[in-house]
Amino acid sequence: MNEALIKVENVSKIYNKGGGSEVIALDNVSLEVFRGEFVALMGASGSGKSSLLNLIGCLDKATSGNILLNGTNTRELGDEEMARIRNSKIGFVFQSFNLLPRTTARENVELPLVYSDKRGISRLAQEALEAVGLGARLHHFPAQLSGGEQQRVAIARALINDPEIILADEPTGNLDLRSSYEIMAILQKLNSQGRTVILVTHEQDVAEHTKRIIRILDGAMVSDEINTAPRKAESELNKLTAKEVRT
Amino acid sequence: MIFLRIATSAGRVIIRNKLRSALMMLGVVIGIIALTLVVSAALGARQRVMERVKKFGLDSLMVTAVSGVQSGRQAPGQQITSLKIEDAKALLEEIEDITGVAPFNRRAQSEIIFMDRATTSTVFGVTPEWVPVWDWDVKSGEFLTEQDMEKFDRVAVIGESTRFELFKDSNPIGETIRIGNVPFIIKGVMAEKGISPGGGDMDNRVYIPLTTFMRRIANVDYIFGIKVRLNTARNMEKTAESISAILRERHRIPRDLPDDFSIRLPDEVKEMAEKVSGTFSMLLILVASIALLAGGVVVSSIMLISVNERRREIGLRKTLGARRSQILLQFLLESTMITLSGGVLGIIIGYFGARIISALTGLPAVISWQSFILGVLFSGLVGLLAGLQPARKAASLEPVESLRA
Repeated sequence: MNEALIKVENVSKIYNKGGGSEVIALDNVSLEVFRGEFVALMGASGSGKSSLLNLIGCLDKATSGNILLNGTNTRELGDEEMARIRNSKIGFVFQSFNLLPRTTARENVELPLVYSDKRGISRLAQEALEAVGLGARLHHFPAQLSGGEQQRVAIARALINDPEIILADEPTGNLDLRSSYEIMAILQKLNSQGRTVILVTHEQDVAEHTKRIIRILDGAMVSDEINTAPRKAESELNKLTAKEVRT
Repeated sequence: MIFLRIATSAGRVIIRNKLRSALMMLGVVIGIIALTLVVSAALGARQRVMERVKKFGLDSLMVTAVSGVQSGRQAPGQQITSLKIEDAKALLEEIEDITGVAPFNRRAQSEIIFMDRATTSTVFGVTPEWVPVWDWDVKSGEFLTEQDMEKFDRVAVIGESTRFELFKDSNPIGETIRIGNVPFIIKGVMAEKGISPGGGDMDNRVYIPLTTFMRRIANVDYIFGIKVRLNTARNMEKTAESISAILRERHRIPRDLPDDFSIRLPDEVKEMAEKVSGTFSMLLILVASIALLAGGVVVSSIMLISVNERRREIGLRKTLGARRSQILLQFLLESTMITLSGGVLGIIIGYFGARIISALTGLPAVISWQSFILGVLFSGLVGLLAGLQPARKAASLEPVESLRA
């Protein structure tokens, strides 16, 4: 068996360590994620699932334990190397989209490329938006787009540097059912193309679209199951459309 | 490449936050307007000084009966009596570069009376050479002649300020004025010359024949000075040395004693005048710099507020791979781009402001590349310094924490 893409070894994350109000967000968590997996991290708010995602995404450093990405221990990396990994190896999708206001869809998608050496950033951004079905919305501002469209812009932005890993933190949390299915359909498609997707959610419905569900409670893993029959967002979307046509 | 992209991002932020950018710009604009006005005023003052120096004559020297060193033969306050009309003639004959000499004597603060009016002027005893040597002629009537000199005539040519004091709008030519108790007939009015390099009014003067002055007014056999005109502005130092040698010989001054005269070159006049206007300019520039400093404080505080407001944006940029240095660069670029454009705007407004003020007040205003360079340099510097602290703050934000905010 080949080496794990993401290896979390005995990781703990404690906020305000040594301070008066110590918060243990993660307590000695270990897990491995292999290339091509689609994992849901499930848990209530405050369970530590987002902390784990931030650690995997090189946004934060663990209090103890190691996180290895492609065999590289992120504990040993400096700020600049972490920034480079975030820029080129990881695509982030957030619950609140995090698009820059008063900035066009295309410029938002270009953002990660500003900090890379790639050439032809306008063309790449346009292609990425076309891939998520927003080819006609290049020059729209976020305020002119629906929630689902904004999240698709955010996904296009996450994909622009062709990252190996997509980290999505409650990507459907702010969306209606139809938009949620659209986003899940895109994530499933990305996974089928070989990208590793890790998704944080507290909704069972959403988690059932993934191939592996890990449950976290109070900073510790309580279960890790393979989902043998993931729901297909694409077909659910079609059903939804059919229902809408009938009514 | 990355630099250009970050600069583009910075430019977009500036354009899309118009009010904030305009407020930041305003402080710098005001400072740079002040600076531009002050620099143009300073350069104008300098130009005026140069004009005064030109009145002195750039290709002429002034020999005066004033001891360079206040010791030796001359007791303080005592008039030197060794300079004579013959000295002037000797200089003209013996030095090739000298094309004209205008010996003169003068008495300051003399009372001039016409009918029931009186004024105070400087009375000059001069020769007809005054006109070619100073390149300065009458604007009406005629100047003093050789004949006036020979006959010790009591005739006078007056300056414009003196004319105005005594005659207002009536024609002075042919009228009789009194200098002390001696009556003089006015035969001409000099063209206006304005303020001398030393600051005196060169138009508040009465000119009479030198011979008449020496015999009837002062009753002396010496003169106060000789204005020397040269055929070239070069070799001035050398000519001054020659003049010094001739005068020392004529005055029989022993080797170990100092001169009993001084020679002033246009350079010295220039320096003297510039020293005065230079101090004034420095003061004005200081005031303008304080205005600019205030502008810098405005930029800095608005930037700090903006960094707080944009924690989310900064966090996002960092999450998407921006390094600390790149965030620092973006904020520094934002502040410098704003202050630079404020600077350019200030220069443009200052340029027209200087022209308007100059037109209204008649003060000279010189707008030159110096004030442009200075404006650009200063506004850029202000942006860099004012942006430094906010940019450092932005760069040090942690991506997770700023995203959550």
